[in-house]
Amino acid sequence: MTRNKNEKQKGYIDYTLIFILILLLGFGLIMVYSTSSYSASISALSKNDPNFYLRKQATATLFGFGGMALMAIIPYHTWERYGLVAYVAALILVVLVLTPLGIELNGARRWLNLGMSVQPAEIAKLAMILFLAAFVNRLGTGIRTRRGFWFVLFSPMIMCLAVWRITDNLSSAIIIFGIAFLMLFVASPEYKKFVVFSGVVAGITAVLVFMIVKMSESSAFGFRGARIRAWLNPEAYSTDTGYQTLQALYAIGSGGIFGNGLGQSTQKLGFIPEAQNDMIFSIICEELGVFGGICVLSLFVLLLWRLLVIANNAPDLYGGLLVVGVMGHIAIQVILNVAVVTNMIPNTGISLPFISYGGSSVLFLMMEMGLVFSVSRKIVFKDDN
Amino acid sequence: MNFFEYLIDSHKPVIRPFNRKMQEKLVVLYVLVLLAFAGLVLRLFFVTKYSGETYKKQVLSQQQYTSINIPFKRGDIFDANNNKLATSEKVYNLIIDSNQFWDKDEKIDQELLDGTMTALKTCFPEFNEDEVRKYVADNKNSKYLVTLKQLSYDSVTTFLDMQKDKEANPNITGVWFEEEYKRIYPNNDLACDIVGFTGKDNKGSYGLEQYYNDTLNGVNGREYGYLNDDKTLERTTISPTDGYNLVTTIDGNIQQIVEKYLYKFNEEHKDAARTGNGARNVGCIIMEVNSGEILAMANYPNFDLNNPRDIDRLVGTPFVNEKGNVDYEAEVITEENKNELLGNDDAVYQNLNYLWKNFCISNTYEPGSVAKPFTVAAGIESGRMTGNEYYTCNGQLHVGDHDIKCHNYKMGGDGTLSVQESIEQSCNVALMLMGKQIGKTTFLEYQDKFNFGLKTNIDLYGESRTNTLVFNKTNMGDTELATSTFGQGYNVTMIQTIAAFSSLVNGGYYYEPHVVKQITASDGSVVEKISPRVLKQTVSASTSAKIIEYCNGVVVNGTGKTARPAGYAIGGKTGTAETIPRDKINYVVSFMGYAPADNPQIAIYVVVDRPNAVFQDDAKYATRIVRNILTEVLPYMNIYMTEELSEKEQAELAELNITIKNRDLEEEEETETGDENEEKDDVIDANGGDITSSTTVTDAEMNSDDVDTAPLTGAILDTKTGEPIKEDDENDPQ
Repeated sequence: MTRNKNEKQKGYIDYTLIFILILLLGFGLIMVYSTSSYSASISALSKNDPNFYLRKQATATLFGFGGMALMAIIPYHTWERYGLVAYVAALILVVLVLTPLGIELNGARRWLNLGMSVQPAEIAKLAMILFLAAFVNRLGTGIRTRRGFWFVLFSPMIMCLAVWRITDNLSSAIIIFGIAFLMLFVASPEYKKFVVFSGVVAGITAVLVFMIVKMSESSAFGFRGARIRAWLNPEAYSTDTGYQTLQALYAIGSGGIFGNGLGQSTQKLGFIPEAQNDMIFSIICEELGVFGGICVLSLFVLLLWRLLVIANNAPDLYGGLLVVGVMGHIAIQVILNVAVVTNMIPNTGISLPFISYGGSSVLFLMMEMGLVFSVSRKIVFKDDN
Repeated sequence: MNFFEYLIDSHKPVIRPFNRKMQEKLVVLYVLVLLAFAGLVLRLFFVTKYSGETYKKQVLSQQQYTSINIPFKRGDIFDANNNKLATSEKVYNLIIDSNQFWDKDEKIDQELLDGTMTALKTCFPEFNEDEVRKYVADNKNSKYLVTLKQLSYDSVTTFLDMQKDKEANPNITGVWFEEEYKRIYPNNDLACDIVGFTGKDNKGSYGLEQYYNDTLNGVNGREYGYLNDDKTLERTTISPTDGYNLVTTIDGNIQQIVEKYLYKFNEEHKDAARTGNGARNVGCIIMEVNSGEILAMANYPNFDLNNPRDIDRLVGTPFVNEKGNVDYEAEVITEENKNELLGNDDAVYQNLNYLWKNFCISNTYEPGSVAKPFTVAAGIESGRMTGNEYYTCNGQLHVGDHDIKCHNYKMGGDGTLSVQESIEQSCNVALMLMGKQIGKTTFLEYQDKFNFGLKTNIDLYGESRTNTLVFNKTNMGDTELATSTFGQGYNVTMIQTIAAFSSLVNGGYYYEPHVVKQITASDGSVVEKISPRVLKQTVSASTSAKIIEYCNGVVVNGTGKTARPAGYAIGGKTGTAETIPRDKINYVVSFMGYAPADNPQIAIYVVVDRPNAVFQDDAKYATRIVRNILTEVLPYMNIYMTEELSEKEQAELAELNITIKNRDLEEEEETETGDENEEKDDVIDANGGDITSSTTVTDAEMNSDDVDTAPLTGAILDTKTGEPIKEDDENDPQ
């Protein structure tokens, strides 16, 4: 990489990353409009306005740009001392959901009314990144000890339990834990422990799934059990639990390689409920085909590639870990979202970063991206010779 | 090491490097992520490649909710006077879209629900509010609950008007109406066996409904909804094509008269000698002899076309066996035991099928003495007989190994009879002697000419095949020939017999019997006109005239006296046939006739299968029905009375409110018609004058034309013309 001296002084700005980000956000807005305009136009809740969801998402994106710029300007080391504060604050916000400030939507109490409706789980993800980066940085070589390792691995547990039990949002809890796990993976020089730990988790999961399948009938393991049974055999549950997944598969299958054309989806006309949310990738595949789906995934590959470059060139451990956290967050959500849509894992509510409709999701993701830009500004390139 | 210190003591930022090991691990992580992405891409291809087509079809099939079926209207069936025998009425099904009552918060909007329920309750008193409320609460996503069926246009309009008035009723939603047609038979029982009935799926059963099912049915229309480029729902309608109407030859008034008297017969004779209906079956066909058009066709027991599955109508009929036939000495369905059928769907169905069958075309039976005019016609037409022969009857005749008795065997036989007298007295011995004269080959040739053993191809569903129920050259011996001459041993249907008989009395033209004379489109335009079809000439005009002469004699002098209606001269032949087994208890009695006697216009055939009487072998069970029917039908058809009316007859006509139609009175007004009739009279007089010899009037009331196939000993009668028999025997290929 060749950079001139001027850049070193002003700080490095990753234009490629900005370009990819704008591409993703713009594409996301188009797809939100495409998926929601019909259902919005026939629903009184959106005042029969086909632009209803587009306008809300565009507003959130604009706020997101503001938040991103703010985070990019503020030197990231400012946050280092507030790691624990962020953790505790996020925890309090999660608990606040139980107070009258909480908002219940679609039968789940996951939102807070803070002027605008915000998901504390989204804040918790950002807080987790800020906290762990600072903590691991403090630990230094302490992370190589067994105690250090387990302490870091289990430090997100309080947050995960709170998100899971209080907001009944297991998927966010898993993501939060996943972020911590990936940050630890990068920070620790170990491999063996991670392989063993992953193996144990995979084993326990397999046993649980096996048990649920063996119990076959009734309400064993509540709606999660039902979702797992629907995952293994969506056709058998096509009218209830498996409905959404099956309809998503229909959408992907009917799109073929090049899709039916932008805006030509039929599955979004009521068959996939709220298609602009978690299932948006299936509509992308229906309208733009597998080709369109691969293009979107490629954009994420490029985005993650830029994050990798920034992390690996980060001026210090703290900055590097912040970027790794963001990278892990995005990677986990993309993989889990697409895996749900293609029925590779049981249905759980995970949105597709930057593309799915959701104000707080896009706002906090962009603030995370602001952190990344803040780190990238401090990159000092060594001379080639 | 105290980790909590690290957590709290964060005031002094520590700068550590993001070292090489970490960079390496981040690359490893990135590679793992890439692998995961590759897996997702593979999965996408997999879904598209292996399930793509299936899923594509699935997606298309789900779209059907935007396309609504618009039902066609099944064609009407009219009688000859354009009265509706069957029609289809548009009705409405009430559909509840329970999804409309749920709001975004997954709660039922009580205001909407209450408003709608109140409106529905007001317009449709039978509306079950509690049930629908429960359904809406339990089925959030259901868009289609058929709540009420077959509502009338009026009640639906009331509701739609309420819905339109948004100010008074702002809370009506989630209700729509699906159109459907309901088959209606305005006259219930009338002509049930001819019309047949239609189920919900527009599939006709029996009669015209089944025979003309495809003609009556149209093509469904469709309303498609699709999304245009602006993503707004557009609708295209393909109109349904309604089915064609049938205009029949049936005269509703004649049909009504016929059914009235069949019903009356049943009322008079039911439970007389045994439990059950007045007869196992009574059938009547009236047909125009010069066109083959059926004017009326009825039988009893009958059923209600609007409620064909009413098992109350089975009361009085015998239980049928698994094959749908009536066993000998089968038990009769009564009010008390009818419930035995319940729960046994097969048995109910078998019995209903037996009831729905059109006796006039579906049931086969041995015709008995009504076959005698056919035998004589065959003899004269073939030249084997001249019509001037005389036969001597001693009461029985030895044929083959049997002595076959005549009806008045106990009184020593009929004595010497001319051909006409043989018919008038219905002498079996004379007919058997004629049979010898005619010979097997010629007899069978004429059976075939008269269409016995062949379908008439009448345009009604369910005509029986009788090809295996008649004799052929291989299985007809002398005995079979002998019994066949007087109508025992082979089977016919009513429609076969009357169609053939019409040709005997109309100059020899065999018309294909038919019920539909015109097919029209829903706008009234004629699609097809069905003209009378002459299939063949069975006998010559002169033979026809002779048969008319003989048959007139039957009513004037012979067994058919009681068939003559007041004021008219008619001709015909009675029949009394034994049934199998030959128990000497059960008989099929009948009268086959025509009117007027001098110029036949219509033929009538009444068959009473096993009348409910101690002594069934009495043709008067049939002749009285014929008399009753013709007494009303002939004046209705504006046929002039030719006979003097006795005071008793005048009183009878007055009671029936029938005006006396006298040719002399109306001739002055309608000269042309009168002339025509006169001309025809002349023709018949001329022919008749040659043939008729002196006729001996037998005053003895004929109790029956008994048939006996039991062997007995006794003398055999000689015939005057022995030679033709020998010739015939020699010619016989056997």
